[in-house]
Amino acid sequence: MPKLPGGELASRPLHFIWIADCSGSMGVDGKIQQLNFAIRDAIPHMQKVAEDNPNAAVLVRAIKFSNGAQWHIAQPTPIAEFKWLDLETMGVTDMGMALTMLAEQLKIPPMSERALPPVLVLISDGRPTDDFQKGLNALLGEPWGRKAVRLAIAIGEDADYEVLQRFIGHPELKPLQANSPEALVRHIRWVSTAVLKSASSPASQPREGGLTRLNVPIPAPPEPGPDAAEDVW
Amino acid sequence: MNQLLKIGMSVQTEDGARPCQVQQFLGGGGQGEVYRATLDGAPVALKWYFPTQATAEQRRNLQVLIAKGAPTTRFLWPLALAVAPGVSGFGYLMPLREARYKSIVDLMKRRVEPSFQVLTTAGLELVHSFLELHSRGLCYRDISFGNVCFDPANGEVSIGDNDNVGVDGETSGGVLGTPRFIAPEVVRGEAAPSTQTDLFSLAVLLFYMFMIHHPLEGSKEAAIRCFDLPAMTRLYGTEPIFIFDPADASNRPLPGYHDNALTFWPLYPQFFRDLFTRAFTEGIRDPLHGRVRESEWRAALAQLRDLIAYCSHCGAENFYDTAAGQNAGACWSCRRPLRWPPRLHIGKQVIMLNHDSRLFPHHLEQQRLYDFSTAVAAVVQHPSNPAIWGLKNLTGRNWVITLNGGTIKEVEPDRSVTLAADTRINFGGVEGDIRC
Repeated sequence: MPKLPGGELASRPLHFIWIADCSGSMGVDGKIQQLNFAIRDAIPHMQKVAEDNPNAAVLVRAIKFSNGAQWHIAQPTPIAEFKWLDLETMGVTDMGMALTMLAEQLKIPPMSERALPPVLVLISDGRPTDDFQKGLNALLGEPWGRKAVRLAIAIGEDADYEVLQRFIGHPELKPLQANSPEALVRHIRWVSTAVLKSASSPASQPREGGLTRLNVPIPAPPEPGPDAAEDVW
Repeated sequence: MNQLLKIGMSVQTEDGARPCQVQQFLGGGGQGEVYRATLDGAPVALKWYFPTQATAEQRRNLQVLIAKGAPTTRFLWPLALAVAPGVSGFGYLMPLREARYKSIVDLMKRRVEPSFQVLTTAGLELVHSFLELHSRGLCYRDISFGNVCFDPANGEVSIGDNDNVGVDGETSGGVLGTPRFIAPEVVRGEAAPSTQTDLFSLAVLLFYMFMIHHPLEGSKEAAIRCFDLPAMTRLYGTEPIFIFDPADASNRPLPGYHDNALTFWPLYPQFFRDLFTRAFTEGIRDPLHGRVRESEWRAALAQLRDLIAYCSHCGAENFYDTAAGQNAGACWSCRRPLRWPPRLHIGKQVIMLNHDSRLFPHHLEQQRLYDFSTAVAAVVQHPSNPAIWGLKNLTGRNWVITLNGGTIKEVEPDRSVTLAADTRINFGGVEGDIRC
């Protein structure tokens, strides 16, 4: 017999969606392997963040793009049950198509009317080969697309920084540049933990330092530099 | 994955006197990382700040807190500053939280299932702790369910993240608090965190603990589609309306959305609900004078705990409400009619005499309010007639009882008085009477 009546604290869904570049160039220098590693590495930390946040029901999925786009993990999966499936590379960079497909899924329905702002993370190492603007327009044409926290990670020097900035759509927030596997791990970790936390149940708010003009109080991104004690010792 | 310190390395207390060995990474937060460490062979927790957070101001603040010492043992208070050669910044040592403590988040997710007895004890401990903190001129600034843990077995609390504690009125630095807990005037940018805003956050935390719901999330919350910062600012800052505001029905909880609020609220006695009502009506309108003070919560929670009675059918804990008169109502769990056990009235206090009830100095001595250290009386079953229940004298002095018919008797230490209606007990300083 339960000692107390009622149930869990009422929560709202928080959709977290990876948008991953799987074009041929991601196959060079082990970039896709690094991305697979970084996301796998982040999952337990995402789970921990979600565990500590009673206000959000975190649901994760992933879309990939190369020749066209495809849902890689189509089902919005509770983070506690989420398992990453490795991405493979081929072909070109149809980023616009991915955003169009994403926009379809951000319509109401299938999205619920009430939710926390979705978090969309675009990861790319190159230039779109299709009509990016068309895809972006479709995404921003949806209320949940506009309200979403949109973040981007540029892998390597050839990423189209300007396109990623347009995806983010906010001058205060810049694409995160990952020129090394360590930086990629750090950025993936940051978007999947610190940002996830802010979008669901923000932790203590510093008086200053956050990017306060956004509709979600995104903490300042981690600073590059020595990120392990090994670097110091 | 830790980033700041290496497992196995040594850090030192700032005075250089004591080495401290880093043993295990425990977790990271917005300000830094926490490790398990040993100091003089004893386990401690070590928090190390991210370089951006390791400010001179934070350091000074910690020095003040360390010099002042913990308000009570319930605070995981900074013990000493820590530095390490070759590592930038600093950290501090504090007591390690025992594994038996669970966070309020676990309660929100129903991963722990405390009794109402434990819940009221935890509430009592919490408000008492903050009373002690505030009475020292300090404010906490970030009362929220992430920072408070409790033992689901007995309600003991453990309050962490004390490095944001500061001297009340010193507004520079620190944090604004955690959204949903921040007082409306701070959300609106009109005030800085202070003892007064702590009182609001404390009331929110208590409401969460007792209702598993937020006091301002009613129909206005249900109407919000995207729950982002502007929406939160409106709900918790510019248009805060208590969901049970007697004068404003515009934000009532809705079935299907806010079921916990609807389920828990009617279970509590009127005086307890009134206190929440004041906290979230006058307490919002008048932050300086309208808020419910810790001492008021403490008195209310001590009384609330004494009003718990078990359903005679299923054993679930229900609350006796003196304001409800003879109407006992139905048990929330089995829905069958409630039958109250005998009650002891001492002045304005009412104590339900359950099979396991005990009295403490708090109940019998005006000078020892909130002393729950040693029982001075306990409900017991008659050794040869289990149908008879009594109140056993656990003090060292005689009680004088007046029976219904007027007969006067003495109850010596370790003897018991039968729980019969209209028996008056003179405990020495105070007198109570049993009602059935």
